[in-house]
Amino acid sequence: MLFGRGKKNPIKIADKKVEKWIYTTCGYCSTGCSIEVGVTDAGKPVASRGVGSAEVNRGKLCIKGIFEHDIFEASGRGEEPLIREKVREDYQTVGWDTALDKAGSEIQRIQEKYGRDSFAIVSTGQLLTEEFYTLGKLSRAVIGTNNYDGNTTLCMASAASGYKRSFGSDGPPGCYDDFDNTDCLIAFGSNLPEQHPVIYWRMREAREKRNFPLIVVDPRVTMFAQFADMHLPITPGTDVVLLNSLMYVILDEGLEDREYIEKHTNGIEAVEKVVADFDPVSASKVCGIDEDTIRTVARLYAKSGAAMSIWTMGINQSTHGSDGVVGINNLNLVTGNIGKPGGTSLSITGQCNAMGTREWSSCSGLPGYRYLENPKEREEIANYWGIDPEFLPKKRGLTETDIFPAIETGQIKGLWLIATNPMTSMANTPRIRKTLERLECLIVQDSYRDVETTEYAHIYFPAATWAEKEGVFTNTERRVNMVRQVTEPHANTKSDLWIFNEMSKRFTQGEKVKFPEKPAQVFDEMRELSKGRLLDISGMDHDKLEQQRGIQWPHPEGSGRDTGDQRLYTDGKFCYADSKAKLIPLPFIDNNEVPDDEYPLWLNTGRLVEHFHTRTKTGKVGNCNKYSPTAFMEMNPDAAAEMGVEHMQYVRVVSRRGDAIVMAQLTQRVPHNMVFIPFHFHDCVNRLTKGLLDPHSRQPAFKQSAVRIESVDQEEAARMNVELRQY
Amino acid sequence: MFPVREDEPKYAFLTDKESREKNIHGKFIELVEKNSPLYGKSLNINGDSAVGDNPNRYKQHGFHFTADNCIACHACEAACSEKNDNPAHLAFRSVGYVEGGTYPAYQRMNISMACNHCDDPVCLTGCPTRAYTKFAEYGAVLQDPDICFGCGYCTWVCPYNAPQLDPVKGQVSKCNMCVDRLEVGLKPACVSACLGGALEFGVIENTPLNRDQAKLDIPGFPSTDITHPNIRFQQTRSMPREMTRPDSMPLKYHRDDQQEKYIPVVDEKKGKPQRQWNLRKLLGSHENAHIAFTLCAQTVIGAFMLLIFAPWLGLSAVVTARSDAFLPLFATLFVILAIGMFKLNMHLGKPLRFYRGFNNWRLSPVSREIAGISLFFGGMVGYGFFASLIHYNLLVLPVIHWLAVASVIAAIIGGLVGFYYMYKLYRIPARPYWNHWQTGSSFVGTALVLGSVLILLVSGIASGLSALQALLPSLAWLIFSGLLLEGIGLLAHARDLKRQGGEGAASHFEQTTKFGYAYVLRNTLLGVNLLLVFLLTLESIALSPMALVIGSITLISLLTTTVIGRALFYVLVIPTTMPGAFFWKNKAFEEHARETGLANMPQVGVVPDGH
Repeated sequence: MLFGRGKKNPIKIADKKVEKWIYTTCGYCSTGCSIEVGVTDAGKPVASRGVGSAEVNRGKLCIKGIFEHDIFEASGRGEEPLIREKVREDYQTVGWDTALDKAGSEIQRIQEKYGRDSFAIVSTGQLLTEEFYTLGKLSRAVIGTNNYDGNTTLCMASAASGYKRSFGSDGPPGCYDDFDNTDCLIAFGSNLPEQHPVIYWRMREAREKRNFPLIVVDPRVTMFAQFADMHLPITPGTDVVLLNSLMYVILDEGLEDREYIEKHTNGIEAVEKVVADFDPVSASKVCGIDEDTIRTVARLYAKSGAAMSIWTMGINQSTHGSDGVVGINNLNLVTGNIGKPGGTSLSITGQCNAMGTREWSSCSGLPGYRYLENPKEREEIANYWGIDPEFLPKKRGLTETDIFPAIETGQIKGLWLIATNPMTSMANTPRIRKTLERLECLIVQDSYRDVETTEYAHIYFPAATWAEKEGVFTNTERRVNMVRQVTEPHANTKSDLWIFNEMSKRFTQGEKVKFPEKPAQVFDEMRELSKGRLLDISGMDHDKLEQQRGIQWPHPEGSGRDTGDQRLYTDGKFCYADSKAKLIPLPFIDNNEVPDDEYPLWLNTGRLVEHFHTRTKTGKVGNCNKYSPTAFMEMNPDAAAEMGVEHMQYVRVVSRRGDAIVMAQLTQRVPHNMVFIPFHFHDCVNRLTKGLLDPHSRQPAFKQSAVRIESVDQEEAARMNVELRQY
Repeated sequence: MFPVREDEPKYAFLTDKESREKNIHGKFIELVEKNSPLYGKSLNINGDSAVGDNPNRYKQHGFHFTADNCIACHACEAACSEKNDNPAHLAFRSVGYVEGGTYPAYQRMNISMACNHCDDPVCLTGCPTRAYTKFAEYGAVLQDPDICFGCGYCTWVCPYNAPQLDPVKGQVSKCNMCVDRLEVGLKPACVSACLGGALEFGVIENTPLNRDQAKLDIPGFPSTDITHPNIRFQQTRSMPREMTRPDSMPLKYHRDDQQEKYIPVVDEKKGKPQRQWNLRKLLGSHENAHIAFTLCAQTVIGAFMLLIFAPWLGLSAVVTARSDAFLPLFATLFVILAIGMFKLNMHLGKPLRFYRGFNNWRLSPVSREIAGISLFFGGMVGYGFFASLIHYNLLVLPVIHWLAVASVIAAIIGGLVGFYYMYKLYRIPARPYWNHWQTGSSFVGTALVLGSVLILLVSGIASGLSALQALLPSLAWLIFSGLLLEGIGLLAHARDLKRQGGEGAASHFEQTTKFGYAYVLRNTLLGVNLLLVFLLTLESIALSPMALVIGSITLISLLTTTVIGRALFYVLVIPTTMPGAFFWKNKAFEEHARETGLANMPQVGVVPDGH
């Protein structure tokens, strides 16, 4: 009937005038999507798209990646180095030399006065691997502090620790291709569609082809839980109980893979002894999952041809995070599900290069998964770097979560924060503020001038971000991928590599050590140091990585292949001296803060798909931020009715640490005795969290705290909320 | 042509091999035959004269949405905004959701929605400027922002909230079906970006690979009867009996076992409904231009018709008054209508394009209204001018007489046409609160009441109190009947809204709660007015000195009633749109962000007030 105008006007569709697409790797999470950024002929990045031929994402991107070109010119970027004598004074804009000189002399002054370890360095999972390696060299071989760690302690430390304890080395043994081969998938505390949407897409595509059972363990009814065949709404902090009980059923019913256990593991007897206490009836009373469900899941998992487990922060961020990982590894070891297609224990990693920092930054040891505790490895690295092996500590120093208390007690006087935002991300932030005030010198190196830590800094280094630099990232499935430089660093910002190299020149010890200028030269050093090791990357170079759209390690020189190994431990040989994995017994001690009369609600925290970490990036990208521009709290409507809380009303949430103002969103997604608050917002949920530390990984338990709700004056709260949202 | 990459993934390509002959509504899917003049033409996308080689180029296409699978990851929305370079406050595609059940048997169903490129695009028929075209190519309904003058009428009539009025640019834009991608065989950007396996696209009625349903609707989706939208759904998971919306709309969806579908019912959200004032929201809405225009136009048309037809209506007092205060009366009508039209024009996103308002006179009630009112205005001015020449004996020539007659005929026709379409344009199926005869009775009532009041006032001022008193008895009866008509209409309206359920009932719920005091005040005043005006019909009072006192009170009361009534008319309408989310597309959050200043940060995605 209707075709409108006789004479049609030409159709106009937005044309961004992309002249060139530049290959790079996404700088948000560690899914590791290959992304192409479109630039105009003036070199301005204006568009992003997934790389069609990339094995990981096959042309897809999530919302954050789709707008990643917007972060280069986002508001709040740092432009010039800044210094000041006292925190109460205004910053002065200075040149790079002045800022670096001041930083160098402050570090040396503090180290001379209070000892080498009195200056701490806390880095990140955001830098390029070449930069991590260089920072490691600077920290270990030049500055020589043993209080050097990454913020990965907040997210992946438990996974790394659990892998080390079970297999003798860090390194996730599986890959995304396992989804295409598995017969059963359990996801522990992982909200895949929200946290890793592209991995979810891979999983779902695989499941549409071969409808394998999906079991989701999560106290919230996430979309993932809703789409699962079985949802196990577990009581927070009791994963080890559930895991032990699954083991109980498997061992009790003889469903384990005896041959695999005998050949490839140690310690089954001790495990058998401990899990004997976790019969499903007793366990169900602790973990909240009924006994029949425990038996069904255990049988299903053990009887599947290939079964895999994935997990994220639900496991890692608890007081038994490392134990939880070990428990998952145990489950997979006794059922023979390690290193086989569809059978794996795969930690879904957080930051874009959390893996890179674990592999090469020397945070928890020395480069290439080497240990400080191992004299041979110490010597190897000292010789390669050209320093006295005695300069290196013989034992790992403090983790990030122990560095802050050490500032509090005065052992640490100076701190260098690199691309991390503890004022928002650490548990119990009121304490972090107090801690930062105590520092004689705080250096903040960040792409954003408005990152909250600059409030307490003496020196600010404006760093280039993501694809303003060049280097590699390693993703969840150990795929090393290429980040090509898309655009020039913003204003007078410099790459982190340049900053580290320049900093090394401020130390006499730095003259002994070589600091190559170009990322490719740094990569050559890493390649050299990786030879013959689990994470062998000697067959890779930057160009090849781009061509192949990323290569998984191990990929040794002369392998004759263009691709790396998809899986680790396929031969059942692990990294312990006797090549056997360890089965480790996991007694359960409940040391969590649990709800009581005074603080009757569980406080759970987590991620939103549109935001990344502390919102320094996504909070400024309108097309991401608009979906949750301000802090909110999921609360059960029945509980809300009892407390007189209404939908969209502001409430004050109070814990034993502090309080936070949030807008209530009433939903049956959370149980009656729980609230959920996303962790992205500044001065919000981490004012409440307790963050007890895992004894092995020192990772904080962000997801198990107790709170109560109080009413607030709505106008006052709204005003406060606006004040707290500078971006 | 849109560049297809060498490594373009397979899922991004359209796959339709076969298609049906007719769609579910019996319409041919093939939109034009080979011999049609519309066949083989270039779409001229950004000046490119090439013709796409898509084998299904002339078949109606549409989205297919598997509600079972959507994870609300926003990838579709992001891909759309990235491709169309939309700022944060604007989106051609949005994801909202409904939820139900009790923990842990809780379910959330997300709905991703853009334009449905309907068989009967009400946006196209409604748009006064002819900015819309339904193309033979893919059946795409495309809108040209360069033609649009930003009146926003398409956003009123669309049941799916597809056209987006950008308050910053002052124009509408919407989903373009990514026809540039379709031309080269690629699916739209949103579909190619979908991570949940929810969004698909192809020739309408085709069920995508691995899907087995292509049904017409899902819970939360507005009635498909209005426009025959080109979207099909799969939704196989059983859902709780009741699904609620996270946004502030007082609606939820309840399963009707007989109809086997979910129907919208009122959601009292916050428990016990309470009456509130919310005066600022009531009187500060951005529809104020419409309040001013409709009231002015109805007053002037009412007064004009009374003045012209007074002799035939037996209103001798009016004939006398007209004769005594000819120029003041018509000059006042001119001024009031000019103000109304100016207000209306200035509310347009692009006021300088006002002349485009007539373009779609064949289809759009808005065009016809504008044409009618313009003709009326011209006729009235002409009549006022020529008749004054005669009336005041300035230039009495036969030609002047004929010009006056021609003008008055034009004004009468224009006035009637304009008035009718002013009513007709509010009879929007997607806006149940307006889609009732009461809209008409209210407009006519207003014309009678305010038209009479205007004559009374101007005569009183121009010719003295006695003139006013002479007019009172007869005009008071007219006012009385106008008020009665309004009252009867309102009673029927409230009754029918409650009965019909859905968005209409939700509007009624809002009018008795959120704006409850204003509603009660208006209704009470309406009763008081009837009483006062009845008193004024009595000669004993009309001719007594009391008349001035009662008249003044009545005047204030009448004006208050009318303004509140008309403000309620605009503020209470609840369109049949899709559910929003907690922040995005939640009207209450948008208002909150504006009030508190959150909206001043552009990344919040809410445009602050003041444009």
